[in-house]
Amino acid sequence: MYLIAYIDTEICAATSCKLCTQYCPEANTILYNNDAGKEKGLKYGSAYVAVDRCKGCAQCVWVCDNMAKHNAIKMEMIDQVGDSALTENITYGEKNTTAKLANPIRG
Amino acid sequence: MSLDYVKFTPGFDRWMPKEYRDMVDHGPFGKKTSVSQVGTFKEILEEHPMCAGCAMTLFIRLAMIAFPNPEDTITVGTAGCGRLAISQAAIPFVYGNYGDQNGVASGLTRGLKLRFGDKPKDVVVMAGDGGMADIGFAQTLHSWFRKEKFTTIMLDNEVYGNTGGQESGMTNKGQVLKMAPVGKKFEKMDMLGMAKVSGCAYVATVVPNNPRRVESVIKKAVLVAREVGPTYIQAYTSCNIEYAIPTDKVMEDAKDVENDRYKFSEYLTDDAKQALGELYGYKEYLPKPAKTVTAG
Ligand SMILES: Cc1ncc(C[n+]2csc(CCOP(=O)(O)OP(=O)(O)O)c2C)c(N)n1
Ligand code: SF4
Ligand code: SF4
Ligand code: SF4
Repeated sequence: MYLIAYIDTEICAATSCKLCTQYCPEANTILYNNDAGKEKGLKYGSAYVAVDRCKGCAQCVWVCDNMAKHNAIKMEMIDQVGDSALTENITYGEKNTTAKLANPIRG
Repeated sequence: MSLDYVKFTPGFDRWMPKEYRDMVDHGPFGKKTSVSQVGTFKEILEEHPMCAGCAMTLFIRLAMIAFPNPEDTITVGTAGCGRLAISQAAIPFVYGNYGDQNGVASGLTRGLKLRFGDKPKDVVVMAGDGGMADIGFAQTLHSWFRKEKFTTIMLDNEVYGNTGGQESGMTNKGQVLKMAPVGKKFEKMDMLGMAKVSGCAYVATVVPNNPRRVESVIKKAVLVAREVGPTYIQAYTSCNIEYAIPTDKVMEDAKDVENDRYKFSEYLTDDAKQALGELYGYKEYLPKPAKTVTAG
């Protein structure tokens, strides 16, 4: 098993500061869904991780904890996160992306 | 080398991988994209085998986002860690033999000029400190003395990372590394000073813990190289393997090193300022209007 970054939508969507994406070393890995959390009355949309691209470095955790001071990201075992975003299920729009969540363990 | 080179031959698009289709439909080609928009458009850098958490990877990613015209850009690299990622982007990459990168880029830049005239075609070299300041030193300096119009970016991890930890000219004095067990005996080379002496029109130091600054520096360097002459960026891009930096502390290290000995610096010749001000809307470089003195 291995660790990947997991973003808590409720915490992130309260501010969605968009810092972590600028610091993830991997391209196309932390993406934004500008509508996430809106159904719960949260304003800004949330970041989420394409777990198949995440290398588990935890740099985003440091950025969210120490620069953004939002503590929205935790490292989790890939088999513990439940349905997640995978590159093949991500749709790009004009200024937004959405992901259909699926089991991240391929088998 | 135009917007069309990324497009599909009609009828073939459904056979293309999803990543490629996303790149054509939602990538940065022909648009103005910026670091502040990342996460909402498809980046041209794809998956690659560089180490988890490597600051060099982050820098390369930011550089690819910052290129002013990615559809008209060619990167040149050489042996070393960086090329493992630079070669995995949707823009042409040329591999120069170790140390030859600035020679290769000189020929390429001249060839593009002959073929395309004044149509902007940007050449950007990205290579490690060993490849640039040691093995490729002569070719780097001579390309600057010859005023070749392309951008040179040193990915300075202060070590030969790809071959397991030898000291380079850019390693700091006293540093102990796996294959420098008694510590380096000489000072870090002053490549910034040499860049200025040999006639670079724009010279900057940057650390990737400030992504927007990386973006700004890359844009200026590429635009000045296009219009005026050689440009040089020296970026601190730590090797978390050879310097044993825990991956979640890489940005903390970048901040410490920036405060300690890698402060942001920028040098522009008057010609560079004029080009940026007059051709690319950088108002801060336009001459200030003379104050009208009213006789009292
Ligand atoms: C002509 C030649 N000599 C030696 C090598 C072996 N080699 C490959 S990568 C490398 C060192 C890379 O160090 P640096 O340029 O600092 O880049 P880094 O890997 O640290 O990013 C060397 C010596 C080579 N590929 N070609
Ligand atoms: S840094 Fe934290 S709060 Fe900001 S966008 Fe990323 S996960 Fe959300
Ligand atoms: S753990 Fe590393 S690779 Fe994964 S999302 Fe966070 S910064 Fe990116
Ligand atoms: S060896 Fe060092 S410089 Fe090379 S990819 Fe790994 S962390 Fe980065």
